[in-house]
Amino acid sequence: MTGHTLTVAKKDFADAGRSKLLWSIIGLLVGLSALGYIIVWATGEDIAAGEMLGFLAIPLGVLVPIAALIGGYMAIVGERRSGSLKLLLGLPPNRADVVFGKLLGRAAVIGLAVVLSFAVALVLSVVLFGGAPIVDLASLGALSVLYGFAFVGLAVGVSAGVASRGRAMALTVGTFMIFFAFWELLTAGVYYFAHDGFPPAQPETWYLFAQQLNPLQSFAYAASTLVESQVFPVMFRFNLDQTFAAPADRVAGDTPFFLQEWFGALLLLVWVVVPVAIGYYRFEKADL
Amino acid sequence: MTAIRTDGLTKRFGDLTAVSGLDLEIEEGEVFGFLGPNGAGKSTTINMLLDFTRPTAGSATVLGYDAQAASDEISQRVGILPEGFSVYDRLTGRKHIEFAIETKGADQSPDDLLARVGLSPEDGDRAAGGYSKGMRQRLATGMALAGDPDLLIMDEPSTGLDPTGINEMQDLVRAEAERGTTVFFSSHILEHVEAVCDRVGILRAGELIALDTIEGLRASVGGGATMTVTAANTLDGVVDAVAAIDGVSNVTATGHRLEAFVERPAAKPLVVTTVADAGVELTDLRIEETSLESMFTTLIEGDDAPATTLAGDVESAPDRRVANAGGDE
Repeated sequence: MTGHTLTVAKKDFADAGRSKLLWSIIGLLVGLSALGYIIVWATGEDIAAGEMLGFLAIPLGVLVPIAALIGGYMAIVGERRSGSLKLLLGLPPNRADVVFGKLLGRAAVIGLAVVLSFAVALVLSVVLFGGAPIVDLASLGALSVLYGFAFVGLAVGVSAGVASRGRAMALTVGTFMIFFAFWELLTAGVYYFAHDGFPPAQPETWYLFAQQLNPLQSFAYAASTLVESQVFPVMFRFNLDQTFAAPADRVAGDTPFFLQEWFGALLLLVWVVVPVAIGYYRFEKADL
Repeated sequence: MTAIRTDGLTKRFGDLTAVSGLDLEIEEGEVFGFLGPNGAGKSTTINMLLDFTRPTAGSATVLGYDAQAASDEISQRVGILPEGFSVYDRLTGRKHIEFAIETKGADQSPDDLLARVGLSPEDGDRAAGGYSKGMRQRLATGMALAGDPDLLIMDEPSTGLDPTGINEMQDLVRAEAERGTTVFFSSHILEHVEAVCDRVGILRAGELIALDTIEGLRASVGGGATMTVTAANTLDGVVDAVAAIDGVSNVTATGHRLEAFVERPAAKPLVVTTVADAGVELTDLRIEETSLESMFTTLIEGDDAPATTLAGDVESAPDRRVANAGGDE
């Protein structure tokens, strides 16, 4: 990485800022957050502004990853296929600048989208529910930004590591589907064979840690500790594991630090570091 | 100092050898034309110089820096017009130039650079996605000129340009050369190289088959020509006499036709007088001069003709200038 990383990031942000696709995603994110507030308000239910945050966190749990993946998976491979990467690498920025500059640029775009969503939520909360739980809102906002970064990292890492658009799409969609649809099947399935039965209410520690590693789950559990209502991960359930509680609540005695919610939030960074490291390694070695 | 040097530079893609043992040395201040048909390995070579592609064997230095280990130093000092690039559709032309200037740490006016490549400030305000192919080529050239590089590497710079654009590109290369910039550019069209280059290298199927100045190549072609003599009687009897003339070679006779390769212009009338002196009645005479273009075409299409046998390998040239010395065809 050289001083050109930031230059690449700025240019990427400027370029992405002119992308209709990314603006549509941002609009969707902001619009759905606003819609959630308006619908709940319109039903006339007596809900406190603090509880509304729980309603906000659930759609964000799915929308943020999708926005980040769509916003990031073409970041590098798109330029590699079109040939603009040659123009970029012909200038002083090197491959590391491209990977990390793109990561920063796309992270800024998703970060902006999440912050805008929360700004709209803040305004609507005051207007429709007569108050705003500023601290809860800000901390959930920060967690959502981190959550977005995890998927930007995954997408940019994949984008750096593959040579075709199709492969980038397959890998990002595939990984998301594993988190969204097959995580329980995979982990509880392994559990079944390893321990002669599906996970009980208090399962083996490794199984709980595996739940922490799924960003969809760790986001929801961490969000639950920040807002007044319980936030459930939006996932496909097979009911192999019939307990819905967070990993931290499924251990007897003291909860080890790695099963606590804050650590799950920290583990979101794994999805920035690991895919980007692999993607960068592959990109550095590639013939472009 | 050496601007570009390659030692046994080789690139294989699976079974295909794209570049094979390339040894090149380009001096500072030189305008070097890298010629060859599409697929000869020109772009692969350039990609290795720029560290876009890594060599299978051999090595390369650019401005004295190792192309792989010190690619950051190289890209700081070199202007690159890549082949098969695309622009950032959503960004304006000026933004492209500004980005190039910023990364090079230069202090230039974007509009000056736009003007140098024939783009107006109004063009610069437009998103590059709306540019024609020629304008994109100009824009990328403008980006390559940012920071006044010591070396310009241009891969097929005339792609997408109309004849006027090609002339402007040649003027630009000359102007850069006058400023002392070394220019290395590739083309599959001899004409584009011939007009501006001090020296050319011809690549075919990954191998360098000729490396010389334009004058040197011309000299190797020389005043060489193929003479075809047609007569009313058989010419078999005069073959030895014609072959004995100084500067005449490859004499063959088939019945009423005699073909000879003439390296020396002065030998041409001697062929005619020799045949006439033998009592043969001439009915036709054709002289086909060998042009640089035809030599190039022969070279890149021919079999494994090494550079040294250039002169003897011109007979199959399809693009010969024909000089009819009398009679009908």
